[in-house]
Amino acid sequence: MNLRSFRTAAWLGWKIESNWTDPFLFAVYSIIKPLAGAAILVVMYSVITKGDFAAPLFPYIYLGNAFYMYVGAVMTGVSWAIIDDREHYRTLKYMYVAPIRIPLYLIGRAVARFLTGSFSVLITIVFGALFLHVPIEAAQVDWLLFSVSLLMGVVLLALMGLTLAGVTLLLARHSDYLGDAVAGGLYLFSGAVFPLDVLPAWLRPIGYAMPITYWLELLRRSLVGSVAQAFPTLANLSNGQLLAILGGMIALAAVVAVITFRWCDHQARERGYIDRTTNY
Amino acid sequence: METAIRKNTGWRLFIQTILGRAYPRVVGMSREKSWLFFDIFLPMLSVSAYVFVYRAIGAPEEYIGFVVVGGAMTAFWMNILWSMSSQLYWEKETGNLALYIMSPTNLMAVLLGSLAFKVQYALGSFWQLLLVFFLAMTALYGMGMMTASLFLLLSREAWHIANLAQEPIYLVAGFYFPIKSFNFWVAAAASIIPLTLGLDAMRQLVFPSGPALGFLNVRVEIFILSGLAVLFITAARILLRKMERLAIREGRLTESRR
Amino acid sequence: MSADYSIETESLGRVYRLRENKKKKGQPHELVALSGINLQVQRGELFGLLGPNGAGKTTLIKILTTLLAPSSGWAKVAGYDVHRETVKVRPLINMVSGGESSGYGLLTVRENLWMFSQFYGMQSAEAYKYIDELLATFGLTDRANTKSADLSTGLRQKMNIIRGFMTGPEVLFLDEPTLGLDVGASRDVRGFVRRWINEDPRRTLLLTTHTMVEADELCDRVAIINRGKVLACDTPAALKHELQQEAIFNLDVSAQNRLEAAHFETLPGVHKVQLTPFDGHSQLQFILAEEAVLSAVVNTLTERDVTILNLTKREPTLEDVFVTLVGRSMAEEEKAGSNGNGH
Repeated sequence: MNLRSFRTAAWLGWKIESNWTDPFLFAVYSIIKPLAGAAILVVMYSVITKGDFAAPLFPYIYLGNAFYMYVGAVMTGVSWAIIDDREHYRTLKYMYVAPIRIPLYLIGRAVARFLTGSFSVLITIVFGALFLHVPIEAAQVDWLLFSVSLLMGVVLLALMGLTLAGVTLLLARHSDYLGDAVAGGLYLFSGAVFPLDVLPAWLRPIGYAMPITYWLELLRRSLVGSVAQAFPTLANLSNGQLLAILGGMIALAAVVAVITFRWCDHQARERGYIDRTTNY
Repeated sequence: METAIRKNTGWRLFIQTILGRAYPRVVGMSREKSWLFFDIFLPMLSVSAYVFVYRAIGAPEEYIGFVVVGGAMTAFWMNILWSMSSQLYWEKETGNLALYIMSPTNLMAVLLGSLAFKVQYALGSFWQLLLVFFLAMTALYGMGMMTASLFLLLSREAWHIANLAQEPIYLVAGFYFPIKSFNFWVAAAASIIPLTLGLDAMRQLVFPSGPALGFLNVRVEIFILSGLAVLFITAARILLRKMERLAIREGRLTESRR
Repeated sequence: MSADYSIETESLGRVYRLRENKKKKGQPHELVALSGINLQVQRGELFGLLGPNGAGKTTLIKILTTLLAPSSGWAKVAGYDVHRETVKVRPLINMVSGGESSGYGLLTVRENLWMFSQFYGMQSAEAYKYIDELLATFGLTDRANTKSADLSTGLRQKMNIIRGFMTGPEVLFLDEPTLGLDVGASRDVRGFVRRWINEDPRRTLLLTTHTMVEADELCDRVAIINRGKVLACDTPAALKHELQQEAIFNLDVSAQNRLEAAHFETLPGVHKVQLTPFDGHSQLQFILAEEAVLSAVVNTLTERDVTILNLTKREPTLEDVFVTLVGRSMAEEEKAGSNGNGH
């Protein structure tokens, strides 16, 4: 029953996500958008370093940025369904009346974003490896570590998305791109495009408290082992320690997500927000 | 003379529209303060990330100022893009658009960003700066109206296209780096977006090292911006009228988006 | 546990907290949408909630369908508390709101319906079979593969109604199901509703309406609700029976002279009078204590030089019941009670 509704939610998400009259445009979209985003960083980097793509900092930035795309995609995917169903389709109340677990439904809705996001990440990385000397070699990649880390990351992001979805239930405003906005804000603290050392000392603790920091580090290590060693921030932690930290933080994120969503859900029913529309 | 009078009425009506549209937004905003967090704080954090990227790769300090100014300008672009695409009923939205352009949040972002990163300014000519800003915004406004009319026809696809355009525009308009870094023809092509030259000229006017990293001479850029402003406003007026007629004939004004 | 009630509420109340309006100090910060609602709906009943817009009907449905928490009292549906046992209630119920075009416009009618069947754990094949049957019943078969965005509002509403019945709920809630439907479609829906409830004695259906005919012809029992309170609750026949001793007359009169309802209100035995001006004539509706009072009415008209064009004695309707209970018609009440909450 739970699996069936999850599958159906994923199907619906895909229908909505791929609702393009022209599939060609859809393809262009999934390629151009991420590449242009990466290109901003590439140009910034090459202007200042006079095109020194061999330095370890470049793959650090490039990979961090590429995988960070998952953060916006999954978090928005999960939380956006609340706004979409409530404001546009006016179906949120029917979903609520139905005997489904709303969190599961929301995560199902995000599957499509996860898939298109994966495509974007893949394109970006392949482009980097082919044209920008990002040193990824299939034989050198620690695939097991990569798969485990990626999976843990997806779980983490879904939980963070769920927390955000709870907050979204209570927000009156038409906060269309809440997931992306939050992802953008956390970009600064996740060591995605620069090592945490660059942050002022008083901001660094936030970076260390962010699970995404450890997730990105694990992904970099699994793909390009040598790069990670060039930066001292997390170098003294072994892969096992990083996985343990990430695992612990996921458990914490799960607790936070469950408590937040339950509380917000309860509040939304207290205040009658399940089926309200704002129409500003 | 006749045209002047008509224009006058038009502007008065326009201001009324702005005020009319502004009211519910202002009331809505003051009721729910969360926008402060989502519209100012979070975007500021994400722009800050680019500042630290420059720090990480050891860029000269003036680049940090470039990012702060560029980052604030992204807000203008976003507002135009989203307000144009998210609502098909452009007539209602034209007031909103002007409101967005005048929104003080962008100026607040520049101020806060400058303070946070201790950006040093060296104002060249205040009047030139004002003129550049005014011209760039006018042209941007015209461009926004133009896209609005296109969106009117594209309806469902508009949202996707707006979303698609975001990163490429950030890239070519040089929000985070001087467009001089591109080769001449790429930079010239990017100049069709009013913010590109507007940003380039503004940077030249407020940063000591600006002129050295500028694409064209500021006077030339002002000249081109004036041309763009006239071009886009005129084109927008013609297109809007045309599209509205077409849309009504084909019944797309009431078609639901999804 | 109380016998076999499908829906049961006790002292159920709901208060909406309003935002403080700084300009208008002293305005109430709360809106009482429901207060002290006691209802018992039996299994197998088709129960109607009749009241003007803003009476609190939708708020009650929202509470009963687990979407809204009550502020006081409790409510049970199918034996479970709607606030504390939502997980047990939801599989047994479904809900349809009329007058709105919800649904995923990018999906076809059939896809929309199939999707919801999945959320209720139905097997696809079985669901499709049932969906196709219902589509045929509601005359939507030829639109089954149309994207629901391309449907008219009325057809979209029919799709929504099918969505409600499709999942085989024990208790079904219909909020103004025929709002916005044309006469024919409304009749079809009413016919189906009646058949559905008769088919299986375990089913219960609660519908809200502000249409008298709907409540009168369709429902086994009706609760008349106004300003958040239940004023009366009984079978339509019993409710009307209260007025049986009284005499109800409709008079069409010439409108040359200015007439006011007040001219008649003071007459002994006149319980209620309503004056509706039309182009060229006026209509007067009287609820009188007994037929004999009519002569006094006719005298008053004659004194004022008003010609009677037509005089009919009619059977009492639920509208008359409402008028006697509230003191004015539902339309007047809607106008007056502009504290309408829109919920």
